[in-house]
Amino acid sequence: MVKNEMKNQIRRLRFENSEMTQQQLADRVGVTRQTIIAIEAGKYAPSLPLAFRIARTFGVSLEQVFQYEDG
Amino acid sequence: MNRTQKGAWCILIVSLFLILFGILLFTEIVILKNLFTSLHRFIALLLFSFMVPLFIFLRKKQSRAEVESDERDRLIIKRAILVSFVSVWVLLAAVCIIPRFIVGYTGSIPVWVLSVINFAIFLIAMFIYSTAILIQYGWGGKDGEK
Repeated sequence: MVKNEMKNQIRRLRFENSEMTQQQLADRVGVTRQTIIAIEAGKYAPSLPLAFRIARTFGVSLEQVFQYEDG
Repeated sequence: MNRTQKGAWCILIVSLFLILFGILLFTEIVILKNLFTSLHRFIALLLFSFMVPLFIFLRKKQSRAEVESDERDRLIIKRAILVSFVSVWVLLAAVCIIPRFIVGYTGSIPVWVLSVINFAIFLIAMFIYSTAILIQYGWGGKDGEK
């Protein structure tokens, strides 16, 4: 069975953007803090619109936030 | 804890309380033939006095800009509705089968029992719905501050 892994750099990007808190990021992209926590931990894969909103918040491309790897 | 989690906790507490209160009432009034006592009144009053702090807890936001619900909340709610819907069907099937063993094929039950059964199924479905939401959120503990 092929195991798909989606990794993200949200935690690193938050700290690089003046140590943005999970709540601040959640408020800016219009989700709850729990959703940001779940995305950061890799427990939840966001929808494309939400992924784009997160990337735009940090001012980077989607690939710089989310990486997809075939295991 | 977000609004969906808070709502689920409220439903869980209220449904559990009503289930326990219903079992107590059934035991006292139907089995032991006691009338509505002051203990029952006290428990009912206790339930209603819990409502105000519960609603305040429900309305409190994590931040000013906190959204009511997001895509993950909606996904979790959708799964919880599915689980509770399945549980309703399982309970209805059980309700159709179990009385045959208790009162027999030609036996009869009072009409009020049907109302009690319907209400009990509703409460159990609500209990399962809220539990399903909380399980998906990891009971709120795993989603802690990082």
